[in-house]
Amino acid sequence: PCHLFLKEPHDQKGKENFKLLLLLNDRFQALWNFTEENYRMLKQKCNLGNIFLNLESCSEAWKHHKTVLKQFFTDFTSESSMSLALYTVLHKPIRDHVERHVLLLTELNEALKEDPEKELVTSVIKEYVKLESFISQVLDEACFTKALWKSLGYKFTDVLCVPERRLLEDSRNLPISASTNRSDRILLFDDVLVLIQKEMFSWSLSCSLLPRHVLRIVTPEETFFLSAKDPQMKAVWQWKLNQAIRQALNGKRDFPLWGKTGEGTEPPSCRFFSYVFKLEGKFKSATYEGEWHWGKPHGKGTLKWPDGRNHVGDFKEGLEHGFGICLVPRRSEDRYDCYKCHWSQGKMRGYGICEYGNEMVYKGYFKDDMRQGFGILESTAADRPFKYTGQWENDKKNGYGVWDDKNRGERYIGTWQDDHKHGQGIVVTQSGVCYQRTFHAGKMVGSGILLLEDDSVYEGNFTEDLTFVGKGKLSFANGFILEGTFTNKSGQGLQTQGILNTSNEQLDDRITKVQLGLAEFPVEKRWKGIYDQFLEFIQSGCKEETEESFTGFHIQTSKELRKSQEYLFCQRGAEDASWKTEDILEELVKHQELASLHCYLDKALKSSLHPLGKLLKALMIAFQAAYSGIGANRHLLTMAQEEVKYYAKKIWEFYQGLLCLALEQKGQLPTNDQKACSIVLPLILPCFYPELFMLYMLYHEREDDLYCQGIVDLSLFPDIKLLEFLDVQKGTNNYRGHKGLRKAKQEMSLMVLKYVILSPFQRRSLIKDKCFLSATECLQKLITTVDPREKLVILQKTYEEIESTVSRVVEKDYKLPMDDLLPLLMYVVSRAKIQHLGAEIHLIRDLMDPTNQGGLYDFLLTALESCYEHIQRMRLHQRENCHGTHSP
Amino acid sequence: TGRRDDTGVGKSSIVCRFVQDHFDHNISPTIGASFMTKTVPCGNELHKFLIWDTAGQERFHSLAPMYYRGSAAAVIVYDITKQDSFHTLKKWVKELKEHGPENIVMAIAGNKCDLSDIREVPMKDAKEYAESIGAIVVETSAKNAVNIEELFQGISRQIPPLDPHENGNNGAIKLGKQTAQTGRRCC
Repeated sequence: PCHLFLKEPHDQKGKENFKLLLLLNDRFQALWNFTEENYRMLKQKCNLGNIFLNLESCSEAWKHHKTVLKQFFTDFTSESSMSLALYTVLHKPIRDHVERHVLLLTELNEALKEDPEKELVTSVIKEYVKLESFISQVLDEACFTKALWKSLGYKFTDVLCVPERRLLEDSRNLPISASTNRSDRILLFDDVLVLIQKEMFSWSLSCSLLPRHVLRIVTPEETFFLSAKDPQMKAVWQWKLNQAIRQALNGKRDFPLWGKTGEGTEPPSCRFFSYVFKLEGKFKSATYEGEWHWGKPHGKGTLKWPDGRNHVGDFKEGLEHGFGICLVPRRSEDRYDCYKCHWSQGKMRGYGICEYGNEMVYKGYFKDDMRQGFGILESTAADRPFKYTGQWENDKKNGYGVWDDKNRGERYIGTWQDDHKHGQGIVVTQSGVCYQRTFHAGKMVGSGILLLEDDSVYEGNFTEDLTFVGKGKLSFANGFILEGTFTNKSGQGLQTQGILNTSNEQLDDRITKVQLGLAEFPVEKRWKGIYDQFLEFIQSGCKEETEESFTGFHIQTSKELRKSQEYLFCQRGAEDASWKTEDILEELVKHQELASLHCYLDKALKSSLHPLGKLLKALMIAFQAAYSGIGANRHLLTMAQEEVKYYAKKIWEFYQGLLCLALEQKGQLPTNDQKACSIVLPLILPCFYPELFMLYMLYHEREDDLYCQGIVDLSLFPDIKLLEFLDVQKGTNNYRGHKGLRKAKQEMSLMVLKYVILSPFQRRSLIKDKCFLSATECLQKLITTVDPREKLVILQKTYEEIESTVSRVVEKDYKLPMDDLLPLLMYVVSRAKIQHLGAEIHLIRDLMDPTNQGGLYDFLLTALESCYEHIQRMRLHQRENCHGTHSP
Repeated sequence: TGRRDDTGVGKSSIVCRFVQDHFDHNISPTIGASFMTKTVPCGNELHKFLIWDTAGQERFHSLAPMYYRGSAAAVIVYDITKQDSFHTLKKWVKELKEHGPENIVMAIAGNKCDLSDIREVPMKDAKEYAESIGAIVVETSAKNAVNIEELFQGISRQIPPLDPHENGNNGAIKLGKQTAQTGRRCC
C-alpha cells in the first residue's frame, strides 16, 4: 500500500478529494497486483525467459507515479489548474499504463505461435480492452452527470447531488413521460429514479419493480406508468431500468458498464430492504425493514412506528399476516401492551396472548383486533385480582363464562353481556354457600335459590352479602319451613314475620342435593368458543400454517411462550416435525382398527402438539376454571359430570371429522362406524378425575359417613361372627330389630350357604382362607383405576372370586343365587372398607357405557349399591336401637 | 321353616331351567345363578331376557326397588305347597304396584306344581288374584320343566315393542328389533 500523503487536507472539498484519491490509489494497487499475477502466470506457463516485460518495469512505473503525485500535491495551489492537474496526475498515468500493457501484450501475442499460451494472452488483451472501455465509459458517465448538476437548479442539486451518484438516463436524452402527470423530466440515476414535476419525487431503485410488458413502476406506496413515444424507446428505458435496478440491488456496477452479465434476467420480485412509509394510513411514518414482494411487505419483517409501537412478524401482501409480536405503548404509563398473536390480513385473528401493561393477561382468541371467542383474562393486580374464563364478543365478556373474584373468594358461573353478569348465574363461595339467580347488567334481580352450608335452603330475594330481604321461604335441614317476609335493619339483625311449618320430618333429598344450572346452561352451549375453533380448523382443511392460530391453547407456561417467540425467525425443531398436520392425518388413516385406534387416541390426547391433545388441554382449563377450588360444590356435580361426557362426545366428533378429511384427501370414503365412540371417555377421564371425584365425594358426604360408621360397626365382628351375622336366616320368623337379632345369634349355626351344610372341616377352611380375602383384596382395587369400565371389571372379578372361594370350600362347582350372593357380597364390601363407596358407585353409574344398562355390569353395580345402602340402613337401625333399648 | 321357605320357592331353579334347557349357543354372561341372559324368538322379533335375581330374604326387602327400577317385567314366584309364600307374593305385588316402574309386566309363577298332592294354594285363588291385578299366571315345575317356556313366552307377548328411538334396555349385541327385559322373581 502506498502512503501518498503526509498530511490530510482540512477543508470539506479537500477531504472528499482525499477520500477519492485514496480509493483511486487502492484500485491502482489492485490493478498492479493483478498485472503482476498475470505476468507470473505467463512466465510460468510460457517459460518465455526474460523478455521485455518484467516485474521491475511495472514497479518502476508506479514508483514513478508516486513521485508525480507527491510533486503534484506540493505544487498544488490554484483552483484553475485543478481539472487539468487531476487529469495529469490521476487519469493520464493509468490510461497510459493500460495502453502500454495492451501494446506489450499485443506484441507478445504476435510473438507467440502455439496454443494455449496464445489463447491466454488473447484473453488478457481482451480484458485490458474492456478495462480501457470501462474507463472511458465511467468518465463519460461522470461528464454526463457533471453536466446535469450544472444544468439543474440548486433546489434539486441540494437534494440529489452526491459524489457517488451517476446519471444513467435522462428523459431529455431519450424521451419518456410519466402517466401521472406531464412531468418535466425523468432522471434515472444508478440508485434512484427521479421524476421532476413542479415538485420532485424520487424512488429508491431497490424498492422499484418493472413488470414485463408495461412500463409500470411499482413502489411501496405508489404505482405509476412511464410512456415512451415509440416501442424502441420504451424498450431501451425498460432495459436500462432493469439493469439499474439489478445493479443497485447487487450493490456494484457491472464490469464493463452495461455489460452482458445478467442481461435478460428480470430483477427479483422478492427483496429485503428498509422503507419509511409516508402516505396517510396505518403504516404512516412507520419504518418497515424486512422482506418484500412486488413492492409490498411480504415475509418476515419488522415495523417500527415513531411512537415506540412495533410489530415483528410475518407479513403478506403488505399486511400483517401470520404470527407476530406487537408492542403498543400505553398512553399514560411507561408501559407496553404486548400482543403475541396470529394476524390475518392486517388484523388479529385466531389464538393470541396479550400481556397488557396493567398486569392483566389475556390468553384466547381474537377476531378483527378484538377479543372474540373463548379466552381467559387474568389480573394479578393487587387491588382487584380476578380471572375470567369464557366467551368474548367484540372485546367484551359475552356469553357463558366463569368469573373468579379472588378478593371476595367467589366464583360466578353464568352468562354475560357487554362485560356484565347478565342472565342466569350461579355463585359459589369459599364457604360452600352457593346460589342461583338472575342478573341484569351486573345487578341481581328477582328471587333466587340460596343453598346454605347447613343444608338449609332459602328461596326468595337476598342481597349480595347474603341477607334475606322481602318475601322468602327458608327450609331448614330438619324439615322445618319458615315462610314469611324478611327485613334486615342495620344493627338489629334479621327480622321476619311469617309461618313456621314443622310438619315435615326431614328435608327432602331433592332439595338438599339440588343440582344447579342444568336447564339454564345446556351442556352444548358451554365452552362453545373452544369447539368452534377446532371445528373451523377441520372445516378449513387442517392447513399446517393455520393450525396454531386455531388450536394455540397448548402454550401454557411463559417459558414455552418464549420458545414460541424464538420460533419466529428460525426453523421449527425436530420434535414438531413428527406432528405435522399431514402426518397426523396420515396416521389417522392407519389406525382405524379398534385396538390401534385406542393406542393412537391415547397417544394423541396425551400429546400437547396433536390437535386432539390441544383440544383436551383447552377443555381441562375450562373444566378446572369452573369446578376446581371454590367450584368444588356438590350442587354442581351434574353439570360437571355431563360436561365431561360431552367433552368425550365432542372429541370423538372431532376425531371423526379429522378422519373424514384424511380419507377424503386420499380419495377414500369414510366408513360409518360409530361403535368405538365409547373409547374416548375412559381416555380423557383421568384429566378430570380429581375434580370430578371430589364433587362426587361432596355429593355423597353424608351417606359415605353413615356407611363408614356402619363399616366400623361391622369391623367389630370377627370374620366368622360377621358371616354368621350377615347370613342369619334361621329361626327368626318375626325378626325385627335388635331383639330378633339377639335371638338369631343364639340360634345360629354357620349358614353361609343356604343349600349346603358346611362340615367343621369346611368351616376351618373358610377361616384358613381368611374368609374371602382374595375377593376383598380384589374389590379394594376399585379405587386404583379411574376408568369406569375397569372398575366394573374389578367388580366382576370380585364376584368370581366369591364364587370360586365357595366352590373350593364345598368342593364342587357352585352357582350362587342372589339369596347367597348378596350376604357374601355384603361381607366382602364391609371388609374391603372402601372409603368413598357411594361416590365410586355414583361415578361408575354416571360414566359407564350406557349400553350396559340392564346388563351384567348394571346388575353387578346394583348389587354393590344395594350392599352400600344396606350397610347404611343397618347403621341407622343400630342408632335407633341404641336409643330404644340397650346396645347388644 | 318359614324363612327358609321364603327363599326356597325355587325362583333360581326356574331361571336355570329356562336358560339352560334351551339350546342357546351364545355363551351368555352369568354371575352364578344371579344374573342370566337368554334370547328367545317371539313372532318376528328376538327378545333378549336379562334376568336379575333378587335376594328373597325379608331383611333385604327394602333393597328391592334398586333392582326393579327400569325393568320391563317382573316374575313373582310362590310355592304352591306353602300358603305363606302366597301371602308374601301379595306383599310384593303391592310394593311393585306402588313403587315399581309404570307398565311393568307382572307374572305370577306357582312353582312346584309337581307336588300338587301337598298343595296349599288352590289354582283358583292364584288365577282370581292374578286377574284382579292384571298379571300373567302360570303354575310351573322347575324340576320337571313344566310351563317354564310358557311363562317367558307369555311375558314376551306382553312386552310392548320398543320405541326405535329409545335405546332403553337394549343389550350390547344387536339382534335386529329386540326387546330386553329384566325379569325378577321375588317371593
